[in-house]
Amino acid sequence: MAGRRLPAELGYVLPLLGLMLAAFVLPIGLMLARSVLNPGPPPEPTLEHYQALLETAVYLRVLGRTFRIALVTTVACALLGYPLAYWMRGLPPQRQVLAVALVVLPFWISILVRTYAWIVVLGNAGLVNRLLLDLGLVAAPVAFLYNETGVIIGTTNVLLPFLVLPLFAAMLRIDPRLLQAAESLGASRFTVFRRVFFPLSLPALAAGAILVFILTFGFYITPAILGGGRVPMVANALDLLINQFARWEAAAALSTILLVVTLVCFALSRWVGARGATS
Amino acid sequence: MTRRLLALHGVLVLAFLCLPIAVVIPMSFSSASSLEFPPPGLSLRWYDSFFGDARWVAALVNSALVALASSTAALLLGGIAAYGLVRGTFRGRPLIEGIFIAPLVVPSVIVAVALYIAFAQAGLLGTMPGLVVAHTVLGVPYVVLVMSVAIRSFDPRIEQVALSLGASTATMVRRVLLPNLLPSVFAAWIFAFITSFDEVIVTHFIAGRFDTVPKRMFNELVLQVNPTITAIATLLIAVSFVAIALILWLLRRGGVRLAALT
Repeated sequence: MAGRRLPAELGYVLPLLGLMLAAFVLPIGLMLARSVLNPGPPPEPTLEHYQALLETAVYLRVLGRTFRIALVTTVACALLGYPLAYWMRGLPPQRQVLAVALVVLPFWISILVRTYAWIVVLGNAGLVNRLLLDLGLVAAPVAFLYNETGVIIGTTNVLLPFLVLPLFAAMLRIDPRLLQAAESLGASRFTVFRRVFFPLSLPALAAGAILVFILTFGFYITPAILGGGRVPMVANALDLLINQFARWEAAAALSTILLVVTLVCFALSRWVGARGATS
Repeated sequence: MTRRLLALHGVLVLAFLCLPIAVVIPMSFSSASSLEFPPPGLSLRWYDSFFGDARWVAALVNSALVALASSTAALLLGGIAAYGLVRGTFRGRPLIEGIFIAPLVVPSVIVAVALYIAFAQAGLLGTMPGLVVAHTVLGVPYVVLVMSVAIRSFDPRIEQVALSLGASTATMVRRVLLPNLLPSVFAAWIFAFITSFDEVIVTHFIAGRFDTVPKRMFNELVLQVNPTITAIATLLIAVSFVAIALILWLLRRGGVRLAALT
């Protein structure tokens, strides 16, 4: 039986495998190869493309800025998202469903649309500036757009659900009897949170935070629109290298760096998540 | 006290999350050509300027065609492959599954650069087939995930009964398997459709002069602020809402709980 089933089911997988190898694995493989080869002929292994990247101040600045924005966005998402998830956990069922729906809702709406709205909200004549001016808090409009602040606000807004949803799900899985046990043993509310609840929710928080970090690191649309070309991140630099300067080798090397950072972080988040599931 | 602060924080963060939607929809009905909020008056002029502009309509047609073709291809290839992955016992399944899910993990911009270089050499840049292939690859993970869950929850003994009663494989698939999986099939198809319909980055790199709605929106947004975008944005929100409602309804009918997908 197994001997006859084996080829048939492999046959079902092959057409898609063929497509994915040709239009995904192979292009990425060729790009990786291009990053470590001289154009030739004949092509020879070299690290000069990486060397050129790391010796050019512009790319180092872009990498540094991407890292900084990703880090700030991750911290902002954690600080906004953790208390939100904790609050949602304690809501009565119907309100909980509503809160989850509101968190999921933006997930479904084009990032373009969500980013666009921030131009309306944060612009010089936007909602926030009008409010600040009317309240007399500032004398002149504050520049939120076309700088790192705008990019971080927009990115945080887009990526927050990626942290909140898994975190909330993990918090629901924490056995309430553990908290009751701690309370009945005389621990104060705060102690129960600090010594029991928070450590139990920490792996999910870490995994969610790493996910946000990965996503910000490769972010393209929001920095392009809210940064107005003045806050290029790695992905925007790739756009310039490919679509403006046609420097494929440099683009391949920068993409490889981005891919390695992403895969290392992804492996890390899987490892952290698995630890949380077993403990 | 702590509890009230927590509730205040919760409500404010939820408001922050939903603010973009709350702003864009009223703006799209504004009568002003500036980005005034709240709008000074109501009108449908931005919807007129969308549907009255041949370039936008052409982009909409392109978007719909590419999304239709790529989601159907992803559904056919992905659905059959998911069946092979779930029911098969051959070696290397985790690796193959990893390859199918990988486009979800790899940043879009990397796929965009890799495909740009590959397509440039294959002469597929700026062509409809190239775009459809790229969007199919991006839709595959969703189809494989949704269909794997659905097939795993369908008892293989029912298939075996049909086969042992003399049905051919094709008849079994048509009369037994598909009717039971239909809701998930539609849900997977919609996921892939929306993925393509919303795609910006890969399209921006490889589509050349070929326009889709998100690509045109992106280019307009980078250059200038044009209220027509709010009308398109609202239409896209409406499409998303209909799609989510359909997916939830279909998955529930199919007995698949959304939690099983994550």
